[in-house]
Amino acid sequence: MKNIVEVKELTKEYKGIKAVDNLSLEVKEGEILGLLGPNGSGKTTTINCILSLLNYQKGSIKIFDKEMNPDSYDVKREIGVIFQEVAVFEELTVYDNIDYFCGLYIKEKETRKKYIEEALKLVEIEKYKKFYPKELSGGLLRRLNIACGIAHKPKLIFLDEPTVAVDPQSRNNILEGIEKLRKEGATIIYTTHYMEEVEILCDRIIILDKGKILAQGTSDDLKVLANIDEKITVETEEIEEKIIDKIKSNKNIDEVILNKGTLIVTYKKGQNNLGELIDCLKENKVKYTKIYSEKPTLNDVFLNLTGKELRDNV
Amino acid sequence: MFKHELKYSLKVLLKNKILLFWTLAFPLIIGIFFNMAFSDVEKNEKLDIIDIAIIENKSWSEDIIFKNAFESLSDDKNKERMFNITYTDKKNVEKLLEEEKITGYIEKDKNVNLVVKHSDINETILKYVIEEINSNKEIIETLSKKEIEENYKNGVYTIDYQKIYQEVINLINKEEVELNDISKNNLSYTMIEYYTLIAMTALYGGILSMFMINKHLANMDSVGKRIAISPIKKGKMLLATLLASYLIQLFGLLLLFLFTIFILKVEYGTNIILIILLAIIGSFAGLCLGIAVATLSKSGENTKTGILLAITMFGCFLSGMMGITMKYIIDSNIPLLNKINPASMITDGLYSLYYFDTYNRFIFDIVSLIIFSLVMILLSIRGLRRTKYDSI
Amino acid sequence: MTVFKTFWKVVKKYKGTVLLYTIILLVFGIINMQTKESNINFVGTKPDILIINEDKEGKLSKNLENYLRKNCNCIELKQEEIDDALFYRKINYMIHIKKNYSKEIMENKNPEIDVKSTRDYNASLAELMLKRYVKVQNVYKTKIKNEEDLIQQINKNLKENTTVQISSKIDNKQVENASYYFSFASYSIMAVVIFVICLVLSSFKEKNVNKRTLTSSMNYKKYNRYLLIASLLYALVVWIIYMILGIIILKDIMLTPRGGIYALNSFCFTFTSLTLALLISNLVKDKNAVNGIVNIIALGSSFLCGAFVPQEFLPDNVLKIAHMLPTYFYISSNELLKKIEVINLKELQSIFQNCLIMFLFAIFFIIVNNRISKYKRKVG
Repeated sequence: MKNIVEVKELTKEYKGIKAVDNLSLEVKEGEILGLLGPNGSGKTTTINCILSLLNYQKGSIKIFDKEMNPDSYDVKREIGVIFQEVAVFEELTVYDNIDYFCGLYIKEKETRKKYIEEALKLVEIEKYKKFYPKELSGGLLRRLNIACGIAHKPKLIFLDEPTVAVDPQSRNNILEGIEKLRKEGATIIYTTHYMEEVEILCDRIIILDKGKILAQGTSDDLKVLANIDEKITVETEEIEEKIIDKIKSNKNIDEVILNKGTLIVTYKKGQNNLGELIDCLKENKVKYTKIYSEKPTLNDVFLNLTGKELRDNV
Repeated sequence: MFKHELKYSLKVLLKNKILLFWTLAFPLIIGIFFNMAFSDVEKNEKLDIIDIAIIENKSWSEDIIFKNAFESLSDDKNKERMFNITYTDKKNVEKLLEEEKITGYIEKDKNVNLVVKHSDINETILKYVIEEINSNKEIIETLSKKEIEENYKNGVYTIDYQKIYQEVINLINKEEVELNDISKNNLSYTMIEYYTLIAMTALYGGILSMFMINKHLANMDSVGKRIAISPIKKGKMLLATLLASYLIQLFGLLLLFLFTIFILKVEYGTNIILIILLAIIGSFAGLCLGIAVATLSKSGENTKTGILLAITMFGCFLSGMMGITMKYIIDSNIPLLNKINPASMITDGLYSLYYFDTYNRFIFDIVSLIIFSLVMILLSIRGLRRTKYDSI
Repeated sequence: MTVFKTFWKVVKKYKGTVLLYTIILLVFGIINMQTKESNINFVGTKPDILIINEDKEGKLSKNLENYLRKNCNCIELKQEEIDDALFYRKINYMIHIKKNYSKEIMENKNPEIDVKSTRDYNASLAELMLKRYVKVQNVYKTKIKNEEDLIQQINKNLKENTTVQISSKIDNKQVENASYYFSFASYSIMAVVIFVICLVLSSFKEKNVNKRTLTSSMNYKKYNRYLLIASLLYALVVWIIYMILGIIILKDIMLTPRGGIYALNSFCFTFTSLTLALLISNLVKDKNAVNGIVNIIALGSSFLCGAFVPQEFLPDNVLKIAHMLPTYFYISSNELLKKIEVINLKELQSIFQNCLIMFLFAIFFIIVNNRISKYKRKVG
């Protein structure tokens, strides 16, 4: 598969802070690439550099095998962007907003009309055609924002945290929409700090922090990096130190953490870890309200790579 | 594409109530205020009939010259009537003066005494009228005496006093002083108010271009980012959107002209074509001012609106909106200030069309406005042409 | 205390606007002070004229010039400045005496004098003086053939011989300036008070901020009271600043009892403006709309009530409308203060009455404001 986007050794500094640090990445045709990272990790800056909105100190950026510049109009024609903030005219109706932005790409009126209808349908806001933005709820507004970005059927789509502060219905709708766009043949770059979304949606994931790539690969590839195989959480009232020591004696154990009534035991490998742990707890007459086992999440990966959790404002 | 951008820019602008308020409605409202406040100012400038009082006593009724003169000047059949006289006694006269029912009163004993309350223009006129009568009296006396003396000298002793007396009076009455009045005709200085109003409208129009430019700059507005990544040449796009702002600006001016001419009955004079030309160029200066505020200030849209309104308001203040003499005082004391003040350039251009027969000053103002516009564009050009930013 | 602090922080954001209107007032006040001298004795109004005398050698023309110089303010201007000066009433009258004027008079001709007039009061006065002189000269010239005698005779005739008593004892000019300053200040006070208070309160009352305060541990009534006190304090500061400016510009008159009345009057007005500001802030939440409304209210009441044009020049029907605005009563008092000679209770009665009316306006605004608040609470 050929590369749609190629970024090589991109460095962007602003007021002495390196927002993007020697970053290289490729996006392959037809894939959904997830850019995952906490706020301020450089996701949006990277995208803005790729789009040639921002100056950068070093690096090269190619889209569709062409150098990307502010006046690379042929390239721009094939790109659609959904920005983090809602970028629409307050003064125009839903329909007019989409028509305006779509009209910057598609001159032919009939085609444009068809495209707008399709975009409205994709994000399911047909009913609100004649509404003004301020009459829409947050979720609908986000969906309008998306429709404005993709109505012209771009081959390459950037979605910058499109689901921030959105209700579950709208979120599902948005995620389904993205899936549909991919099916129609678009290549998508998706940034977020919600791991669940990335896990469901993305073919490949890049984890960013402080402008650097920490890891990349498929969801499963990355989970290996978490260096654990299983995580068992026990909700319990109290537990003695010596019992913890006993649990720790298991050879498969990676780590045991006790935090306010929650005991988290991680294992590097092993087949019957949960059974063994339950037996151990029974033997020592530890009472617990709940016990469950999980496979590692991207959060664990991030935790393992950076020592901190992948949450807002970390 | 140009049409698409133009169409939607117009749609956006025409939907924005705040922008329309400043460019279309506000000037009309201020125009109404002007009309209300200034309709009488110039009428008041003409001489009114002055209310005076005269104390009736023997000395007054015996002085034929004074009595006749004041009777004639207060005769309502006289076209040049100056006074409305109340004849009364001393006590009453003082009350009238105290209550300012009269400008002053005359008390005649050996001399003519005038009592007034303030030292203002009506009082001065009254004083001069009295003095003029006095001086006529003296002329009569002097010339009659001279005539009689000459008759004596020539050995004529049978003198017809009455005839000499009458001759002198005829001489005085015959003497009409003719002055050659070469004043200009257009002297109505409240016109300046309406000129500042046109200037204000032209400059407030900049709020439209400011708003649209703001929307088209990626570092100012998120819509600008979306536009920046589209495959459209920026220059072409800005041109289209500025044309839309300009069209609405000109529409606002048209509205103002129609309103002031047909409803407020303002007479702009004969040079209406040149007046409109100046207004069109003035609006362009406003447009450029708007662009400059949009690109040079990093602040939010509300603050930018505030900056533009403040510049315009202050400019209009300096060119006479809140007191017409302000323009003259600035013009004659700090001329540079009004030379760089676009509101004054517009006001002054309109004034020079109204008042002067030559066009030097008008052309100077037109050129100033064009230079001002170019400077504004030059200042903004970097911000307008930028396609890549350090931070957005 | 946090409410106060935040209030002032938000006020600081709008210091540009406060500065703008204050500078406008300052420029107006200072420029106004530059004009004309004071007059307690009757000096008569002297029209401002310009004399161009091309008959340099002529004695008669020189005599005419002297006469005019004595009775008018002669202003020297360059040729190209004359027309502007006439238009803006810097001079009221221009007199152009041509070459050979004296010679032609002595030859019993009637040489022309060119004049340019603004056709207003002062111009009429200048014309009255000029005509009088020319008339005397022309009558005498038919009988007196010697130039020296003629001049002597004219001057004898024109010597002032009317005694004028002036009953008023106040220094008009200084008081007039004070009245102008305070009347114009109504524009600045209104703009600065309404604009800033509306914008600041709309920040506090902004939907989400308001929700946050509603859910905070602070008593809502107390919170509102703090805002009210902060607004009051702000208005007070504005008033004090404008009083200090007044003292700087108008100097000693501000330190007399009359100055105190000016201050009292403007205090009432500032308070009324404040209550109006509170009412508007309750009615209008959109910051952009506030800007428009302030401009219309401030400019409108200034034009209609005589802040820019003295009330005596306003048409009667406009003044009737102006009675519905508090500014009218404020400016009325300023104009009254211009005329009152001795400050005593009797004279001040109508001024106190105006203050009372302003307070009634304020109470009216407060009542409407409360009604609206109650209504709003019920509805939403």
